[in-house]
Amino acid sequence: MDTIQARLTTWFATAVAIILAGFTVAVYMSRRSALYQELDRRIESEADLTAGILAGVARAGGIVARNDAGGHPVLAQELGATLEAVPDFLVIMPAKDSVPLFASTESIALTYEKFQQLRQVIVAARGQRQEGTLTLTPDGPRLRYIVRPLGPEVSQGGAVLVAVRPERVELGLEQTLSTFLLILPFGVLAAYVIGSWIARRALAPVDQITNEVREITDGKSLHRRLPTAMVKDELGRLADTLNQMMDRLERSFSALRRFTADASHELKTPLTVLRAGVERAITTPRMPQESLASLEEALQEINRMTELVDTLLTLARADEGTAPLHCEPVDLRRLVEETRETGDLLAEDAGVTMKVEAPVEPVIVAVDASRIRQLVLNLLTNAVKYTPSGGRVTLWLERDDGRVKLGVSDTGIGIAPGDLPHVFDRFWRADTARTRTSERPGVGLGLAICKWIAEAHGGSIEVQSRPGRGTTFTVTLPATSAHPVVTKASS
Amino acid sequence: MKLLVVEDDRTVGQYVKRGLAEAGFHVDLVGDGAEGLRVASEGHYDVVVLDLRLPGLDGREVLRTLRDRGNTVPVLVLTAQDTVDFKVQALRMGADDYVTKPFALEELLARVEALGRRPKAITPPVLKVADLVLDTGAREVRRGNKAIELTPKEYAVLEYLMRHPGRVMPRTLITEYAWDYHFDPGTNIVDVVITRLRKKIDHGREPKLIHTVRGVGYVVKG
Repeated sequence: MDTIQARLTTWFATAVAIILAGFTVAVYMSRRSALYQELDRRIESEADLTAGILAGVARAGGIVARNDAGGHPVLAQELGATLEAVPDFLVIMPAKDSVPLFASTESIALTYEKFQQLRQVIVAARGQRQEGTLTLTPDGPRLRYIVRPLGPEVSQGGAVLVAVRPERVELGLEQTLSTFLLILPFGVLAAYVIGSWIARRALAPVDQITNEVREITDGKSLHRRLPTAMVKDELGRLADTLNQMMDRLERSFSALRRFTADASHELKTPLTVLRAGVERAITTPRMPQESLASLEEALQEINRMTELVDTLLTLARADEGTAPLHCEPVDLRRLVEETRETGDLLAEDAGVTMKVEAPVEPVIVAVDASRIRQLVLNLLTNAVKYTPSGGRVTLWLERDDGRVKLGVSDTGIGIAPGDLPHVFDRFWRADTARTRTSERPGVGLGLAICKWIAEAHGGSIEVQSRPGRGTTFTVTLPATSAHPVVTKASS
Repeated sequence: MKLLVVEDDRTVGQYVKRGLAEAGFHVDLVGDGAEGLRVASEGHYDVVVLDLRLPGLDGREVLRTLRDRGNTVPVLVLTAQDTVDFKVQALRMGADDYVTKPFALEELLARVEALGRRPKAITPPVLKVADLVLDTGAREVRRGNKAIELTPKEYAVLEYLMRHPGRVMPRTLITEYAWDYHFDPGTNIVDVVITRLRKKIDHGREPKLIHTVRGVGYVVKG
């Protein structure tokens, strides 16, 4: 989906997902550190308490330890019973012996190998306070521990180790995490839905403006304007800007309309005067032949000029969308037959054979007959001009699946592939091959006019050509133009 | 026949006036719309030739006001706008006919005559040059006793030349007459038609009736 609405929604949902994920990580981390701190505090206080009890007993002169049968010191039985209440791992090591003074039930439950690892931690601390995490091998458990030295009054400065499994903490953290992971997709989904709704609401006026502008600028209702909101928010300003733009557009369109009307008047009135003078002179009795020839040339130029003015004005109005067509049902076959004689004459002049191929039955289509005749004659003139003597020009008409095709094919010099895209451009002429030196070139508007005529009828014009082999121009018209393009007149 | 020409361009106005006067009409020339409306309403004219673009009161206004007042004088409109659409509009407004600028004087004359309801006898239906006869009613051509078959364009060209016997008709005017729109004047199409006409009319006969005037056009004379 390539809409701003979709993009906004995606961005919104992504942002929410990122925020939720960040939040989850932050909560997890802070919760984890809090729980571990609590755990550390607990084992620390247990260690302190143990040290305190032992020191208290020693100071009061009580028996802390007595030697067992092997000569190793062992914690007094009463003290041992008290310390059994500690639920975690608790190991007390004397300073000068390798046998522990006391080990809690849980510690004793460990294998000898694992127990040795605990003992090793105490030895490694060398009478210093130490805390950390260790994992007993093989296969656990992982323990959070603290080693605390005992005062010198207890077994010459031994040390006590308290350790605990942080499994409960980890379990709590996992629960927190899974709760968040469960919430995350719902959060993103909700963000997507809400984001989409907000984006749609925010952008609905843009769609509305788009539709209205499209309706207004179709060429017929340029006087209309967008409704302007009282609130000058971004869209209100957009509507204002568009309205100003349409003001300018309407002004320039009406200026063009005035110009085309003025131009036809301003250009044609002098042509009328010129023509009047020339015609009068031509009809003067006993005019010398040289003067007559000049006058005929002048008349020809005047006609050419008139034709040029007409064509330019037609194209100008076509650009503006106001060049009118007057369509009525016409038998194209008859129209083609009518142009046959002119085609014959053109062909005979150029030493070319002319052929007409048309269906037997009438081909009735709603078209502007004079424009279509102009189109056919333009194409014929063109074809004859670029077909060397001995060649053939074919004017053909056929029905084709709901459409009517009308074309002119020749066996002429053809058009270079590079030139093909330009043949319908205004004032375009191939520089060399298509201009016979003996002939005065046209102004290069003939095919531009043909294109306009075809398109104004809702049809199209195409050209196919192979240099040296010939050219075919094909005009396709909708056969059922019940509603032909009749544009409004401006005068 | 009495005509009123309302045209603001003096040169065009004078030309139209002179041309029509030479054809035997009585012509009054007026240069602006308000004056034109006044004169047209008061005088009794057979035809009014009205330019559509006038200073002050526009030609369209003149026409509309005339018709609103119940004046039914035939009006021939002069217009620079060469679009069917515009012509239809002019006719709807009450014009009887139109001529597009730049126009051939002959066309203007023909239309004024048609509007003035002159008797048709002025243009004889049968044209004759020596033993060549062209019947405009039946569209038949004969030389001596022999009927000659002509194609539409051949007929049109011959008719045009025979309407002006003895006068040199420029190629451009012939083209214009035989092809009703400004057909590409770069072609020698008239020459081809003339060649065909010569074959059908002059070939093997004396005197030759169709003559070439180099660089200008053709003339039919006996």
